[in-house]
Amino acid sequence: MLQSHSLLWHYLWLGPQILQAALVVLLWRRRVYKQFPVFFAYLIFEATEAITLYLMDVLPSVSVGAWWLAFCIGLVFEGFIRLGVMGELFFHLLRSRPALAKIGGRLITCTGAVLVLLATLAAAYAPVDSQQFAIGYRAHILQQTLYMIECGLILFLFVFTACFKLTWDRSTLGIALGRGISSSVHLGTWAVMANGGMPQSRYLLDFLNMATYQICVLIWFYYFLVPQKSATTSAVSLPENHLDIWNRELERLLHQ
Amino acid sequence: MNLAIVIVIAAALALGIILHLAVTQSLQAKRSTDLAVSIRPIDIEAFRNLINPAEDEYLRCRLPANRFRGVRRERLRAMAAYVHVAASNAAVLVRVGEAALASGDARVAEAAQQLVNDALLLRRNTTVALARIYLALAWPNSGFAAVRVVERYERVSGTAMLLGRLQNPALPVRLSARL
Repeated sequence: MLQSHSLLWHYLWLGPQILQAALVVLLWRRRVYKQFPVFFAYLIFEATEAITLYLMDVLPSVSVGAWWLAFCIGLVFEGFIRLGVMGELFFHLLRSRPALAKIGGRLITCTGAVLVLLATLAAAYAPVDSQQFAIGYRAHILQQTLYMIECGLILFLFVFTACFKLTWDRSTLGIALGRGISSSVHLGTWAVMANGGMPQSRYLLDFLNMATYQICVLIWFYYFLVPQKSATTSAVSLPENHLDIWNRELERLLHQ
Repeated sequence: MNLAIVIVIAAALALGIILHLAVTQSLQAKRSTDLAVSIRPIDIEAFRNLINPAEDEYLRCRLPANRFRGVRRERLRAMAAYVHVAASNAAVLVRVGEAALASGDARVAEAAQQLVNDALLLRRNTTVALARIYLALAWPNSGFAAVRVVERYERVSGTAMLLGRLQNPALPVRLSARL
């Protein structure tokens, strides 16, 4: 299944995976994998999957059908791991905020259910035109479905933290931002592909997908490896006096 | 293809929101000084009076129905303004508490954790209370209770004061106006 791809194509396919492998080594050395085990597993799986698919694409002995089948199988596992990453982000966000654990859990469950419903509807309305390349179309629809759910969940996480004015820790924000950019861009491109758009220039969408993923990997590098500039962590300046008087008034109020 | 266009637009919007919120979050983390200055004191007594069901009942008995609805709406708008300030103060206190969480002093860290929890509960309650106030604006004759917001606000204030005392006994915090 040798394709006549440009050098840029080869670089964009393999480059992010090599960077990802390097990130895995660095996270291992810094023992960050203990903090984010699912994300760590995701990085390993994603790099392995992409390199395997690349080799299958280059090997002449691999048929088109076999390539798409491998792509779909990998996609199913990747989908579960990506949802696991969402769970990990949510866990990190709420573990030190028990006051929001219950309402947050309920909200994300409801959001997830609505997203699954919407993604199923979108998949049901997507056309499967060609029987010859049915597996390819189904893979596009599966991608659209998974990215729709992931993008919705990430958006929910960002809106939830903004509503409650929560602060992300640096690593969690980096993972969420990378996955957010990746899932929203990929959702758009796979939706176009799944619905039969831009049939003559799909390679542009592939370039966009691969370039976006490269940017996301670089974002993870930045957030994991560049130390955070020191923010105020103590000695927060407080307003003018009156605490004792206020406390006395408050006690009076409470005993009314 | 129409479906694809809708999804692409939705994805672009999602990307825009995510980037905006991520940038806002990064900027917030960098300027976390003088947070407590942005706390706006609230006259709890006035608010308590505003949400007193007996006051509403008194007005209902004294005023004609259409006049009562007008007055009730005015009171609900004032109530919403108070709750907005309480929500905004809670947001500031969440950030003050989270900034103090990293403190080496165990007592300060414990007070900060308590403050964060209480402020988050207050923020949640203010969201629910605002929803109920706006519903009540549509049906002014319906009953309404924002008492939990007041109770939560008092509790948060107490925790904030404790944290303020532990961090800097000379510079206490003030969350209420009538002092």
